[in-house]
Amino acid sequence: MANYKVHDNPIRDEWVAKLGKVTSVKAATQFIQDFRKAHTTPLRTEHTLDLDYLWIESKIEEKLAVLRGDAFVDEDLLNLCTTGEAAGMVVKHWAQKMEKATDKYSAEKILIQFRQLYKPPVMPVNYFFTADTQMGSRLMELRNTNYYATSLPDLRKERGVKVLHLGVSKAAH
Amino acid sequence: MALSTATKAATDALSVNRAPTTVGPQEVHKWMQSFNWDFKNNRTKYPTKYHMANDTKEQFKIIAKEYARMESVKDERQFGTLLDGMTRLNAGNRVHPRWGETMKVASNFLEVGEYNAIAAAAMLWDSASSAEQKNGYLAQVLDEIRHTHQCGFVNYYFAKHYHDPAGHNDARRSRAIGPLWKGMKRVFADGFISGDAVECSINLQLVGEACFTNPLIVAITEWAAANGDEVTPTVFLSIETDELRHMANGYQTVVSIANDPAAQKYMNSDLNNAFWTQQKYFTPVLGMLFEYGSKFKVEPWVKTWNRWVYEDWGGIWIGRLGKYGVQSPASLRDAKQDAYWAHHDLALLAYAMWPTGFFRLSLPDAEDMAWFEANYPGWYDHYGKIYEEWKALGCEDPASGFIPLQWMIDKGHDIYIDRVSQVPFCPSLAKCSGSLRVHELNGQKHSFSDEWGERMWLTEPERYECQSVFEQYAGRELSDVIVEGHGVRADGKTLIAQPHVRGDKLWTVDDLKRANCKFADPLDKF
Repeated sequence: MANYKVHDNPIRDEWVAKLGKVTSVKAATQFIQDFRKAHTTPLRTEHTLDLDYLWIESKIEEKLAVLRGDAFVDEDLLNLCTTGEAAGMVVKHWAQKMEKATDKYSAEKILIQFRQLYKPPVMPVNYFFTADTQMGSRLMELRNTNYYATSLPDLRKERGVKVLHLGVSKAAH
Repeated sequence: MALSTATKAATDALSVNRAPTTVGPQEVHKWMQSFNWDFKNNRTKYPTKYHMANDTKEQFKIIAKEYARMESVKDERQFGTLLDGMTRLNAGNRVHPRWGETMKVASNFLEVGEYNAIAAAAMLWDSASSAEQKNGYLAQVLDEIRHTHQCGFVNYYFAKHYHDPAGHNDARRSRAIGPLWKGMKRVFADGFISGDAVECSINLQLVGEACFTNPLIVAITEWAAANGDEVTPTVFLSIETDELRHMANGYQTVVSIANDPAAQKYMNSDLNNAFWTQQKYFTPVLGMLFEYGSKFKVEPWVKTWNRWVYEDWGGIWIGRLGKYGVQSPASLRDAKQDAYWAHHDLALLAYAMWPTGFFRLSLPDAEDMAWFEANYPGWYDHYGKIYEEWKALGCEDPASGFIPLQWMIDKGHDIYIDRVSQVPFCPSLAKCSGSLRVHELNGQKHSFSDEWGERMWLTEPERYECQSVFEQYAGRELSDVIVEGHGVRADGKTLIAQPHVRGDKLWTVDDLKRANCKFADPLDKF
């Protein structure tokens, strides 16, 4: 229960203060990757920031983008991840991982992890969006093949859902 | 001086394909096709499971000059009528107050839909690889820009001429507190511009425009006129004249993928999801706006729905696409049940949560109640008695300090928000097709109100992360949230939303504070 205001609140202040201590590209990259793994996407490990994570993430992105802009020469801005890796090589590696995925759950995990680690400004947008489109298209194919073949109870089991309540449907089907 | 690459390309093309000296639209169209794109290197930047064919035609073959001439004539008629004739007749103030409030919702929400449709049509332009098809989508981009302006102008016009402008002039300010905004964003934003580009086309053109613009933009003009509103028909019918082109674009999207093996694998499940997504919001919201937001009724919503959604769209329009393998959505049966009751369910919840709106609602009067019972037998015993109880408890009177939301909480009628559609749902009072289901995944609880949406979430959980107002504001006092969310008028104390359309007895922040109503997340009980 978050009994505080939406915009100016202690949680956001706390994270702005933490971010103020981050002063290098390397530190900001680690900061944003750790933050995204802990607080974003359905694979997040914590729900404590569910109300504020998008705002905090945007502030970290701003900081990393500014640090990166100061530290990188023009060519590196277009080709280098803030991890120091060549963007083209990273994209190739993840695309190969996605190609090898044979089921929707492993493909979904690959794409979400790719986003947690490399969503801009970690990776230059010119590489990220192309890779995300290709990997996203593959995930869509896997997810939408035989869409209704699995029953809802089986789908819940596959997803690892804990069923807390199931009402009686008045639906016609 | 060296020529730029673009100028050289244009000069070279003109030297090969001379501009015709006798100009007919078809000739010009044919000539323009010689200016083409390099599709080999033109991979779309949007993800899709489908491959759109290179040789798809576009039915309207419209060119920019013709388009501009046609639209300027329509704009002159519309704006000329509004700014001269309508103003002289004081049309903005002849609207029944109930309907004036309904238009706060309709024009603001449609404006958001049109705005997102600009991006959706542009995305399709990027995704298509046929020059003609691109041309059709490009015309739609221009249409959607026009429509966004038109909807904005309806708000501007009412804000200027209608007796109660609050809500017409500043609706977006309150978007964080109004539960209806989130569902609207799901259909009008997420559905149109997120995910597979072709699936977005199915959402926008095949379902949104071919199915729901008939009730949303055409039927609404009948209701408007019946309730004294001449402004809305003048604008919305002008919008609808462009929708035919968009429906044709949707048809051509299906044609462009018809020979792609992927279409047989994915198209019907995408269509079913798109239909359920759109109907889950539009069916209850439009029915509520028409029947509860009017004084003079045109016809029961269920009849309008059956005629235009079930028969015209589900039967005839989808039937015509049958030769391409398209089938009527399986969820149409459940939607048909919702067309009867879902808008009554939603109206009750909307009234219970009235302070969170940017518009005014009113209780059904005796005449309304008789009409509802005559057209929806069983309505009075289920809904009518609750409205009568709320009225007796003083829900309209600020001195009473009574908010129906508190009544719902006290009586154990918990309101859940469906994670996928974001539409509120009260399982203990609902008569629509759904049922409550609550799941926990990775430490987070989620509520759903139907099987179709649950399957969508189980398939793509990262797409449906939107929090409900109950999750956002749990533990906070209602007036505190309303003040922070800009639900207050220019005087700093009177609420924009009101539980009646009278001129007196307006609720203020202090009245609301006295009710001491607190947000609670019903998922905490599980």
